[in-house]
Amino acid sequence: MTAPAVPVGAGQPAAAGPARGAGQFFRKLFARPDGLAGFAILAVFTILAIAPGLFVGSLQTAVTATGPRLGPPSFEFPLGTDELGRSILNLTVHATRISMVIGFLATIVTVLIGAVLGIVSGYVGGRLDAFLMRVADFFLVIPTFVLAIILTAIIRDVLGTGSREVFGIRLSLIVIVVVIGITSWSATARIIRSQTLSLRELAFVDRARVVGASGGRIMRRHILPNLMNLIVANAVLTFAGAILTETTLSFVGLGDPFQPSWGQLLDAARTIGAPGLGAWWYFVPAGTGIVLVVFAFTLLGSALDDVLNPKLQTQR
Amino acid sequence: MGARYLVRRVATALFTIALIVLLNFVLFRAMPGSPERILLGRMPGVTAEVLATTRVRWGLDKPLFPDQFVAYVGSTVRGDLGFSYAARGRPVTEVLAQRLGPTLLLFGLGELVAVLLGLALGAYSGWRRGGIVDYFGNGLSLILYSTPYFLLGMGLLLVFATGLGWFPTFGMVTAGSTYAGPLEYLADLGAHLALPLATVSLGLVGQYAILMRSSVIETLAEDYVTTARAMGLREGRVLRHHALPNALLPTVTLVAINLGYVVAGAITVEVVFNWPGLGTLTVDALSARDYPVLQGVFLLLSIAVVLANLVADLVYGVLDPRVRT
Repeated sequence: MTAPAVPVGAGQPAAAGPARGAGQFFRKLFARPDGLAGFAILAVFTILAIAPGLFVGSLQTAVTATGPRLGPPSFEFPLGTDELGRSILNLTVHATRISMVIGFLATIVTVLIGAVLGIVSGYVGGRLDAFLMRVADFFLVIPTFVLAIILTAIIRDVLGTGSREVFGIRLSLIVIVVVIGITSWSATARIIRSQTLSLRELAFVDRARVVGASGGRIMRRHILPNLMNLIVANAVLTFAGAILTETTLSFVGLGDPFQPSWGQLLDAARTIGAPGLGAWWYFVPAGTGIVLVVFAFTLLGSALDDVLNPKLQTQR
Repeated sequence: MGARYLVRRVATALFTIALIVLLNFVLFRAMPGSPERILLGRMPGVTAEVLATTRVRWGLDKPLFPDQFVAYVGSTVRGDLGFSYAARGRPVTEVLAQRLGPTLLLFGLGELVAVLLGLALGAYSGWRRGGIVDYFGNGLSLILYSTPYFLLGMGLLLVFATGLGWFPTFGMVTAGSTYAGPLEYLADLGAHLALPLATVSLGLVGQYAILMRSSVIETLAEDYVTTARAMGLREGRVLRHHALPNALLPTVTLVAINLGYVVAGAITVEVVFNWPGLGTLTVDALSARDYPVLQGVFLLLSIAVVLANLVADLVYGVLDPRVRT
């Protein structure tokens, strides 16, 4: 095992200088076809997610719908209409926002739990480490999706979500964010912990300890900055998983019809039997969105992994 | 295989199962919002007396620990998982047993097809790295890997059942039909099975191919492969006798670890095709908030996955002497 990619300089955390290395970093990333393609696809969907109203107007409801019932694509409705006469184009573009925002928030929660537990577990070690990793292994083994279904149902029943909103997002969707975080942090924690274990043994951590820095300060100021590359690459891959989980949860009926995500649209399409009726326009657009975004995150994640953590990559 | 390895693996599995049982208890009994409310569901006009009677009837007036917990563990071990709300009070065990067969059939076959296809595709692309099969195979694997199972299922349903009319659209057999003999029954079952099976296999094949490819590439760089080549053995022989057996090792673990994720796919694929297995049961129980059934499904699937992982660990121990410590 060679030393990890950490400059062992003057007891200071590695200066991962965003200003100094940013240009070079993006040149390296975009020189790879997977990095460039992933970034480009995500850029398009991010723009759609930020300003869906700009492209298709505000989200149509059963009241404002003007189209025919389950009409095929036409000049007026390029992607057809649903069973209530709403434009599928309108619904799909607005669903982009919900899917991306839920995926984003769920990623933050997941990576936050995973990184904190991973660093503490790796740095503190001993009984706490053994306990936390047992719990992580437990979550890695069990079918977390079934747990997520049950948790979502119970939490919603207990909270009685109704139509309350937090930051403009309905509480029922916030529950999904939290549940994804609870059920998917373990892989991140495992990776962060193993890297923390090797960082802990390096000279600059020892020096910080000798000059009297507390454990918390060492973890925050010396260990965490050196893990940022790993955390970013991991977050991008987690994003893909979070979008898939949200989609699947919505598909089994846990979505919110008032703020439809792609998964919610697919659930609606299945419920009215769109595949059996030949109404492909109902689910193909949302499905394409999911596949493209998850594919792009996977491409970008593996590209980032190679660019940011050159020593961690295995032979390809 | 060393006894210590065996004991440690079995102990870990038992510990995990104990945690699952504990979690199941905590989730459904100790949640804020009182279980008797959940028991009574959304029944309107519940009086204080009814609430009190319910509490006594279900032992909820006794302390959570040890009384309720001991009673719960006792009945779980005896195989008593309570009664379904939605299925009019039938025992959960009975409801689960009825749905187990179709799921095992669909996912057992699906796993088998995916493993065979995925390993073959992955091995070939890794061996002929940069070739045309590798190029398209790898791209296809990545796209399949990014596609939720149910979406794949909806696509296949649209094209092959609705569009071309080759296969029936839902169920396990044609409803209300009588069969002249077992062969007719099997033909009907096969026609219904084809599309769900294709969905499951395609959904899984990508990850097995990706793993097998990188495993083969890694193995081909090993010294013993170079030695075999230096001995003048033909490429095909090197691949079959020297590289492949070692490259297959990581897939054993992956197949087992994957089972946890396959469950999520199982649930959604069954829903798309109305396959009468545990997946449709889960979704029906979810919309009816039939908690005893959900709890039973979670318990059954978790323990199945843990046991499968235990078996994989033991098989791995037999295959690879390096881990027997």
